[in-house]
Order: sequence, then structure tokens, then C-alpha cells
Amino acid sequence: MNDLVAHARQLDPYECCGFLAGTDKTVTRLYRIKNVVSLDGASEAASFDEAKMNHLSQLSPEERAEIAFIMDAQEMFQAVKDMRKHGLTLQVVYHSHPHDPARPSVTDIKIANEWEENWSRLNLSLPIYMLISLMDKARPDVRAYWIKNASVSSADVVTL
Amino acid sequence: MIKVRIPTPLRPLTKGQGEVEVTAGTIVDMIETLDTAHPGIKARLCDESGELRRFVNIYVNEEDIRFLKGKDTSLKAGDEVSIVPAIAGGR
Ligand SMILES: [Zn+2]
Repeated sequence: MNDLVAHARQLDPYECCGFLAGTDKTVTRLYRIKNVVSLDGASEAASFDEAKMNHLSQLSPEERAEIAFIMDAQEMFQAVKDMRKHGLTLQVVYHSHPHDPARPSVTDIKIANEWEENWSRLNLSLPIYMLISLMDKARPDVRAYWIKNASVSSADVVTL
Repeated sequence: MIKVRIPTPLRPLTKGQGEVEVTAGTIVDMIETLDTAHPGIKARLCDESGELRRFVNIYVNEEDIRFLKGKDTSLKAGDEVSIVPAIAGGR
């Protein structure tokens, strides 16, 4: 949990993203993944809705990373490769909201929905989504959710 | 024939089709063939040097081509290719 907050703080005011992996529902490893939303053509390639696209197109590439993230697919591959090597499975997909509450946004839910069928196609189980809010810099808020069939529910996560 | 799943952001290039069929021997081949039928698709998938863009995943029968031979991964009839935009989100 401290590592998640550290990652979010390090990239603040930009959104960070990454994976947590482990075995038997226990997380043992964190993978920081680069946010490539500022790359040329990246936001056009992502499954953002029209409102999000319009908003992003008015921002500089740098500013885009304050309100959105796109995971570097090359680093995602490296992470999955490392998980396989160590017999770990993907448990959590996380990202930060530097200026907003730790709740999945409309965009987060839309893309989680689109990924729902990808996970099973790739023989991976549906991950928990974790959000780190830095609205209150002194007290980062970390919350976990399941996003299934377009509905969001809290996920129970125990910190050891 | 090879079945290719087209993600939503690329469907404007395929007249809205979510699935197209092509004949191709490798991923590079498939991208060229797709681009002939649906001009512009290659630029969305590859950078100027022809490398797969960092926000695009291509899977052949459930496996990331980065685990196989990348864009030189060979394809055979009946294979299913999925083009999947990277995981994303926002506030
Ligand atoms: Zn978000």
C-alpha cells in the first residue's frame, strides 16, 4: 500500500498506473507501468469516449497525463513476462487520480468493461481495480473495486 | 483466412466492422493487407519505422505477439488475431 502511494506521489500531478501480482489473492509484487498518454496518437488509439477525447484534444500532451493514463503495452508485456517467470498472477490494476476522488470515472468504467472480455480471452482472471486519490495530499485515499458487467462494487482488500 | 478483431477506436476505418477477415502469412503481412483494404490503419498500429506502437497490443490466439516473434509472428488459416488498445482510464 505504501508503494502505491509512493508511486502516485512521485508522478503527481500526473496519473500513475501499474499492476499488483501475487498468488492466492495475496499480493507480493508491484509493477510500475509507464503512462504513455502524452505520446503522439496515443489518445486517439485508446477507447476514450467522445467527451473525454474532446477534453484531451484541448490540452497539451503533458496536461493530458493529469487527467488520463494509457499503459505502455511494452512494459505491460514485460510485467506479464515477469509474472509468468515467477508463477504469479495479475491481481490488481491501479492508477492515481491526482485531483479527484478515489472512484472509478466514467472513462475508467467504460475501459474496464471493454477489458472484461480481454482478460478471459487472455486466460487471465478479472483483476480488482485500485485507485489512489491525492486530493488531500496529506491523506492519500486508496480504494479497491470490482468492475463487472458495467457495475462497480467495493472490493475487500486487507492490508497486512 | 484469418479473423481479425478490430477495436472500437479503429472501426471508423473499417466502416464500423468489428471483425474482418484477411489472408496473411505474418503480422506484418496482415497489417499491410488491412491497410490496403482500410487505408490509415497501419499508421494507427505502427510508428514511422514500422514498429508496433507502445499503446497497441496484438494477440494471436490469446498470446501477445511480443511473446512470439513480434510483427514477424507467422499466421496460419484459422488463427484469430485481436487488436487491443492498451489499458487506459482517467479521472
Ligand atoms: Zn481514473
